[in-house]
Amino acid sequence: MTTWAMVADLRRCVGCQTCTAACKQTNDTPVGVQWRRVLDMEVGEYPDVRRAFVPVGCMHCDDPPCMHVCPSTATRKRADGIVTIDYDLCIGCAYCAVACPYQARYKSSEDAKRPDVATKCTFCVERIDAGLAKGLTAGVDPEATPACVNSCIAQALHFGDVADTTSNVSALLAENQHFRMHEELGTGPRFYYLWDKAP
Amino acid sequence: MKKVATYCYQCVAGPDLLTVKVADGVATEVEPNFSAADVHPGGGKVCVKAYGLVQKTYHPDRVLRPMKRTNPKKGHGEDPRFVPISWDEALDTVAAKLADVRARGLVDESGYPRVAASFGGGGTPQSYMGSFPAFLSAWGPVDMGFGSGQGVKCYHSEHLYGELWHRGFTVSPDTPLTNYLISCGANVEASGGVAGVWRHANARERGMKRVQVEPHLSVTGACSAEWVPIKPKTDAAFLYALLHVMLHEAPREKLDLEFLYRHTSSPYLVGANGFYLREPATGQPIVAAALEAKETHVSLETGADGELLAEGSLEGETAFAKLVAHMKPYSPEWAERICDVPAARVRRIANEYLDAACVGQTIEIEGKTLPYRPVAVSLGKTVTNGWGGYECCWARTLLAALVGALETPGGILGTTVRLNSPLSQRQRSVRSGPDGLMGHPFNPTDKAHWSAQPNIRNAYRSMVPLVGDNAWSQALGPTHFSWMFLDQTPPGLPRVTLPDVWFLYRTNPAISFWDTQAIEERMARFPFVVAFAFTRDETNHFADLLLPDATDLESLQLIRIGGSKFIEQFWDREGFALRQPAIAPRGEARDFTDIATALAQRTGLLEPYNAAINRGTLGVRLGDFALDTARAHPAEEIWDAACKAASFELSEGKEANGLAWWKEHGLATRPFPRTAWYLFPTLAVKGLRFEMPYQERLLRVGTELGRRLHEHGMTWWDKQLAEYQALPAYKDFPGEWEQALVAMGGALQDYPFWLLTSRSMQYAWGGNVGMQFIKEVADNVAGHSGVILNAGRAKELRIEEGDWLEIATPKRSVRARAVLRQGIRPDTLLLLGQFGHWETPVAKDFGMPSMNSLVPMSLELTDATGSAADIARVSLRKAA
Amino acid sequence: MSFGPRAWVQQHWDARAAANFMLGGAGAGLMIAAALAYPDSRAPVLLALGMIAAGLAAVWLEIGRKLRAVNVFFNPFTSWMTRESFAALLVFALGAAALWQPRPFLPLAAAAALAFVFCQGRILRASKGIPAWRAPQVTLLIVSTGLAEGAGIALYFTTAPLLVAWFGLAVILRAFAWSRYASAVQSPALVAPAKMLVQIGTVGVLLLTLMAFWMPDLALLAGAAALVTGLWLKFALVTRASLNQGFHLPHLPVRGAR
Repeated sequence: MTTWAMVADLRRCVGCQTCTAACKQTNDTPVGVQWRRVLDMEVGEYPDVRRAFVPVGCMHCDDPPCMHVCPSTATRKRADGIVTIDYDLCIGCAYCAVACPYQARYKSSEDAKRPDVATKCTFCVERIDAGLAKGLTAGVDPEATPACVNSCIAQALHFGDVADTTSNVSALLAENQHFRMHEELGTGPRFYYLWDKAP
Repeated sequence: MKKVATYCYQCVAGPDLLTVKVADGVATEVEPNFSAADVHPGGGKVCVKAYGLVQKTYHPDRVLRPMKRTNPKKGHGEDPRFVPISWDEALDTVAAKLADVRARGLVDESGYPRVAASFGGGGTPQSYMGSFPAFLSAWGPVDMGFGSGQGVKCYHSEHLYGELWHRGFTVSPDTPLTNYLISCGANVEASGGVAGVWRHANARERGMKRVQVEPHLSVTGACSAEWVPIKPKTDAAFLYALLHVMLHEAPREKLDLEFLYRHTSSPYLVGANGFYLREPATGQPIVAAALEAKETHVSLETGADGELLAEGSLEGETAFAKLVAHMKPYSPEWAERICDVPAARVRRIANEYLDAACVGQTIEIEGKTLPYRPVAVSLGKTVTNGWGGYECCWARTLLAALVGALETPGGILGTTVRLNSPLSQRQRSVRSGPDGLMGHPFNPTDKAHWSAQPNIRNAYRSMVPLVGDNAWSQALGPTHFSWMFLDQTPPGLPRVTLPDVWFLYRTNPAISFWDTQAIEERMARFPFVVAFAFTRDETNHFADLLLPDATDLESLQLIRIGGSKFIEQFWDREGFALRQPAIAPRGEARDFTDIATALAQRTGLLEPYNAAINRGTLGVRLGDFALDTARAHPAEEIWDAACKAASFELSEGKEANGLAWWKEHGLATRPFPRTAWYLFPTLAVKGLRFEMPYQERLLRVGTELGRRLHEHGMTWWDKQLAEYQALPAYKDFPGEWEQALVAMGGALQDYPFWLLTSRSMQYAWGGNVGMQFIKEVADNVAGHSGVILNAGRAKELRIEEGDWLEIATPKRSVRARAVLRQGIRPDTLLLLGQFGHWETPVAKDFGMPSMNSLVPMSLELTDATGSAADIARVSLRKAA
Repeated sequence: MSFGPRAWVQQHWDARAAANFMLGGAGAGLMIAAALAYPDSRAPVLLALGMIAAGLAAVWLEIGRKLRAVNVFFNPFTSWMTRESFAALLVFALGAAALWQPRPFLPLAAAAALAFVFCQGRILRASKGIPAWRAPQVTLLIVSTGLAEGAGIALYFTTAPLLVAWFGLAVILRAFAWSRYASAVQSPALVAPAKMLVQIGTVGVLLLTLMAFWMPDLALLAGAAALVTGLWLKFALVTRASLNQGFHLPHLPVRGAR
């Protein structure tokens, strides 16, 4: 069963925000709404301090808390793992936004296409569906790949099917050590962070 | 919906090849040109700045009609009262001014061109100004030396010395092969563009160790294996200590003795007076039998101006032996006191560098066996300009030479040439010079040829021999002199005058230069300023005419791509790419080429203008596709000819594809051999040596220059003349700025902070501060909303995140919000980018200052290359 | 210590959402207190319904697409917000019936009100993105504070000993719930409201309640103190203590060589 996932290689990411920009443009999100963004984090104290850049957004969790709390059933999960929002059902209560431990959800009255409803990263689902319909491979062919991944200038972002052991992302996960954000919360995020080679 | 192929060259790390989605005649989205993935060294990806182009096109505050100033008074507080006019009126006004200038003579009573032109961004406007260079060429003398950032904001010493030593106008590690990189303030993740980021990410994954030596934890520091928080402007001491360890502590065999002996001037014998001992018959330097030796030969020692200093049986010491003695005092313990980096750490880094150098190993590239030396040192802004820039560049080049990592695989490589020619072919710029070394187009310093009459106001030809004498030299001279000397020209130079006509394009010196208030005051006096304008800004605030050119996505131009270019652009292909209108120009904006043609026509210069185009001003010689010089050609016709010529050149005469083909395909390339990245084989074939370590030529040139200046009563450059040392000694470089503070009336203890700046990838060179879209994404990176200071120090000063702070020199102050971070030295403040806008839409509301207004512009802070560094001593307090 | 983007207070639910927890919780508590101690009355029922309605109206003002509010009923399977809405319907239906015939409808309405306030507790608990809300102890806190506040208001209708006793019990239950919650969640934003809740809302209130056996009017003061301190705590919990999860890296990336 196809399970789409994002892989961010933290060793490669430089925090340039190109993915943020590409996402904003592709998805036409309003000012202040960033479905994909890259955090600029510092850890430690001078002079023993490290700085890391961390792409974040909707993690398309296996067990998405946003979906469970949604009173209108606007938020759903597809068989391929993509968590979707039906903008025609959503009442904009933002319950999903407080249920999401990844600060991935937005609601904006400035959003011309999706006013006052919950929005978030869709993994560029229309693009994937259209690409797959043409027989393309998501995560490999640009036409079937999320805009953020296409735009990444450091090859830090990757997208693919983690259920397929031969996929690009499966190979990355096999070859490297990785973690997922707030794994202890049991949400099963489908967004993996690589931080070192496999031992 | 269609996708239009084009390029973005908003910054020096470009070009990026992209496509623009156009729906119903509206540009909606930028994407990488995926078909260029295998052509471009950054996988065909596009930098974040390019994503701002859609908003740029539709910017609500764009200048969409020609405008003229109706308020004759110019000043910061004066409303220019621009009113729209027709293109005819605008062009007629410019043409009338130019006709008047031509009638009165192209140069003024001081001998300076009456027409001046300034372009920003390290030469990037040339990729947008169509055939305007042909107009300037047809016009005659133009002063292109009014600086807008050069020197104080660039890798100035690297440009000049780098090109002298290894044709490295900018210098890059051979990132795909380098295993150990010491990066002194080089912020490649912010300034290296897509290719830089891409190549370094690959190198990191490969296991390259990068040691970032920098007062703050920059983006590049963040992406490095190690961060060394060095005291500002002491990098030369750090590098000298590395040299000391390599020369005085490591076994000699660790060095590449073969490289030093055969491929550098290390074995040249130096006489008692500091000049090479020469064969009496040929005048050639005598090469000693060993690298470290004292030998006696029947020889000559010739000094400056051909003066015979000694002859007969003379004893000399090899340049290398002199180097060893010279570096003796610079131990890691010595450096620790200066740089605030522990001696043990300096020593470890030096030894790691040596261990990683792989001396003796080779690598096969394209069937050629070349030395393999995967170690490099890169230098950044503020390290490679101003006082200390020479010493840092010298030490860095020497660090490479000592292990044979100069222009060899894995080592440091020059990217491109700008002072030598041909500009597009670095390898061909290697010419034999005197003494078995590479030639360099020094401006003459001998009595007969030294230029006592500068051709432009910044006097580069007279003052800076190293900068050469081509179009780029003008912009790489002491470009602040053009501004500084307007009020008081020092003795010996013709009085610096205001240009009668000043053209401006994609430049904003009122923000981007140093001592920006002084720049504004002078700009207000310029009698006639023509600004090609996208929106209003702080510089065109002083303009008389605003001319809207069709912007990035609206106009037509063909440029050369590939080969090796600035920063990290090392390609395996070379060719051309087209920028084409994705949409019709908005408002009355006109293609720059059509504007240039109209100006040529109205000034009666059509013939020489077309001839200049035919000669190759557009970047390609038109040859068989030359334009009829007698008539005006529309932009499409001109670029069609350029396209055909480019196609002809690329296919070696087999094809001549016109504009229609290029519009469809966007680009065309042919292979560029990887071996062409490396200069070492070329020098070896030509029997030339790298001029390392001893700078006899600079010593000679400097001595001669000093004599010429003194002969003309010019003693105000004496401090700079002292930089011409054959083996540069370390000087108290931070002390230069401390003295500047004292000269301004400040006491050091009252101004305890070093104020630095660092490039912002989202903005650097881009001229894109007016884009809200860019601001939004840039704000995700720390430092875009205020001054970065050490969180621990802030606690001592009871400063909290977001507090308004006043940063001051004794003369001026700026306000910024506090951004508290751990990754910065407690004695350092950092103001990212350069903001402080007061007219540019969007940017004027950032509340974000620039350090530029705080950096004092002075002769004392100008080094021998004519540059300074953007650093200042400042005080910090909570703003009321 | 991380100086990267730290957790910040969620901006999605503001005072309007808080009002639902404050008014709805106290209203439900009032309905329950009324059923216990004032079984034939109509006025407190009316007030309780009014308060619950006002709370829901406030939260209706917060939602983005007001005309679609009915969609809130679509997910009874997993959403506590849907369940709260159904419970509210029940409260209104039974409450209206209780206005007509307090017996037997008032106890039923009270049961629905208990369900309603329980749903409110579970709404917060299901908010996985907000550590201060998702603590399991939050449910009892929300329920008990609703009971105490509602009983406090009920004192204005009667100071019958049964009610006073219920009130005292609810206040003690609330203090217990708070101490359980506080052992799981520490929030600077709750320090001041908690201090008030403990010192005035519990100790003070219990002392006043005891004294009320001699001076009945003091019960009113006790009721007001319990009400105000509880409302303030809930307001702070929703709008001030609601730091989101932030971001945390269990491993830092290896940048090139180690």
